[in-house]
Amino acid sequence: MTATLEVSGLSKTYGSGEQAVHAVRDVSFATEPGEFVAIVGPSGSGKTTLLAMIGGLLTPTHGSIRVRGRDIAHLRGRQQAEYRRRSVGYVFQANNLLPFLTARENLMVVNAIGRGSRRAASARARQLLEELGLASRAGALATQLSGGEKQRVAIGRALMNNPELVLVDEPTASLDSQRGRQVVESLISEVKGRDKLGIMVTHDMEMALLADRILEMHDGELHQRARGA
Amino acid sequence: MIGLLEMRRRKFQFGLIAMIVMLISYLVLMINGLGVGLNVLAGSALRNFNADAIAYSERAGLSVIRSEMSQESVDRALSAPGVTAAAPLGYVAANYSDSRGKIRSAAFLGYDPGTIGEPRVTSGRALTAGDGNGLLADRSFLKAAGLDVGDTVEIGLRLGVRTFTIVGEINEGAFFFQPAVYILRDTWRDLKYGDMPAAEQPAASIVLLKGKGVTGKFDDYEAVNKETAFANIEGVSGQQSTVTSLRAFGYVIGALVIGVFFYVLTLQKISQIGVLKALGASSFYLFRQVLAQVVAVLAIGLAVSLPLAWATERALQRLPESVPIAFTNGTFVTTSALLFVTGLGGALFSGRQVARVDPIIALGQQQ
Ligand SMILES: Nc1ncnc2c1ncn2[C@@H]1O[C@H](COP(=O)(O)OP(=O)(O)O)[C@@H](O)[C@H]1O
Ligand SMILES: [Mg+2]
Repeated sequence: MTATLEVSGLSKTYGSGEQAVHAVRDVSFATEPGEFVAIVGPSGSGKTTLLAMIGGLLTPTHGSIRVRGRDIAHLRGRQQAEYRRRSVGYVFQANNLLPFLTARENLMVVNAIGRGSRRAASARARQLLEELGLASRAGALATQLSGGEKQRVAIGRALMNNPELVLVDEPTASLDSQRGRQVVESLISEVKGRDKLGIMVTHDMEMALLADRILEMHDGELHQRARGA
Repeated sequence: MIGLLEMRRRKFQFGLIAMIVMLISYLVLMINGLGVGLNVLAGSALRNFNADAIAYSERAGLSVIRSEMSQESVDRALSAPGVTAAAPLGYVAANYSDSRGKIRSAAFLGYDPGTIGEPRVTSGRALTAGDGNGLLADRSFLKAAGLDVGDTVEIGLRLGVRTFTIVGEINEGAFFFQPAVYILRDTWRDLKYGDMPAAEQPAASIVLLKGKGVTGKFDDYEAVNKETAFANIEGVSGQQSTVTSLRAFGYVIGALVIGVFFYVLTLQKISQIGVLKALGASSFYLFRQVLAQVVAVLAIGLAVSLPLAWATERALQRLPESVPIAFTNGTFVTTSALLFVTGLGGALFSGRQVARVDPIIALGQQQ
């Protein structure tokens, strides 16, 4: 079976010459369908940079990123946008909701910029809001939501397009641990139930332990971390 | 449409832009109306002449004021090849006292009844050969003078004063920024040249001509079509270039203001645009959102300013002192169309800005 994701020799250098920052150095790893991976590591170790390259937001300096066999590392412009729209659900480190839209509309945005049926999208938005415990907040403007609610709306938005890859950058930053655990568990069941791939960057070991596998980043390098270590 | 939804949610910001569009388009409309209105004052009577061309004396330089045609010149113009109908016309500016005794001036045009120089009477009756002391007054004359058909009016010319009876009303407009008044050509000749020996008196100022190929330079006269004649009225070309440059400024300012407003609005939203791009929105999709907003703002602005300009014109016309603002349907159509195009042009800047946003900024606040 083809790996969902196969990253090999991936590097990213910001700037050049004396100012060069080697944010990600020669990273390689592969995942299986339905796998949920956690990435931990100190601040500045390159976690966000790695996730952004996998999510088609950043172009790597070297290396390849295969998603179900197709190398997406060097896509540009329109094709890169289409990859993001079709295959990726991204939860940004800052929740990045559109402030003038309601919770529900923030989910529907994904439908508006894509092509799918509006009615199906509407049903999916309702279902996601329900699962994330936001049914009663669906009509509230993003600016009126609490930090935790915003983060959950952002997760719902990432799942709207039914992506193959769900990439989450420090989601629990503004979630209380009780709610955080619930949200991560529902993310995991979404990934497992549909044979997707989930990658979650977190500094919360309790959350990381819910994953199938924990990878650790240090100075741009990725290491397998033994369970229970 | 996220763009239109955003407008609904941010009514204040977009309402402000729509209001500015409204004010600018109102201003441009009024400038246009002033241009049309000034042209009406400058020479609507000339434009209303029942003629294809106008003949001036040779050395008049296409000035009705300076043009003086002798009987021989008039006869030559009347019998020139191609001329199917013709009529001599005299012009003189003279003063009169209005109903409150105030001295005003009017443009007196002397014609021969039964020729193409005769104006259409809208109420009262036409002049006949015996009406040496009768006149046909334009609507604008009656309004300004506060007089009516049947009233008498004192006309002052040279050293004398002569009393005329208003026998009919016409709707021919104005000439040289004065309301038009039609009198018999013999009366005109007497008013203007009464102190000259009859044999030396010119027969007319100009000759109206109908027919094909009647324009050109001839032995002792020069004939041009009506548009050329209009453009050569003293003051018209200067006035038109003034109005044209005011109008151009209006469009440029409109485009700049709309452009700058949307540009600033777009700059404020860079991070939101970045997020939409990170979610996979194409530049084209985002550009369409901006475009929809610009079109909506322009439409709302114009939807208010057009009726407002129209109502202003109506209100101004009720004033006793007429303000030279007039609209044609063409004014509305071309002004709206040009403002739309210039506004869209201004907004294209924001479109370029949108295309340049890098989705990577969605990662923001990471450092
Ligand atoms: N746009 C950028 N330009 C230059 N350096 C950057 C940029 N983004 C991140 N970096 C640097 O790259 C390194 C890794 O950053 P990041 O991937 O955000 O780490 P993490 O998410 O683990 O905190 C850091 O040293 C950071 O300062
Ligand atoms: Mg980070």
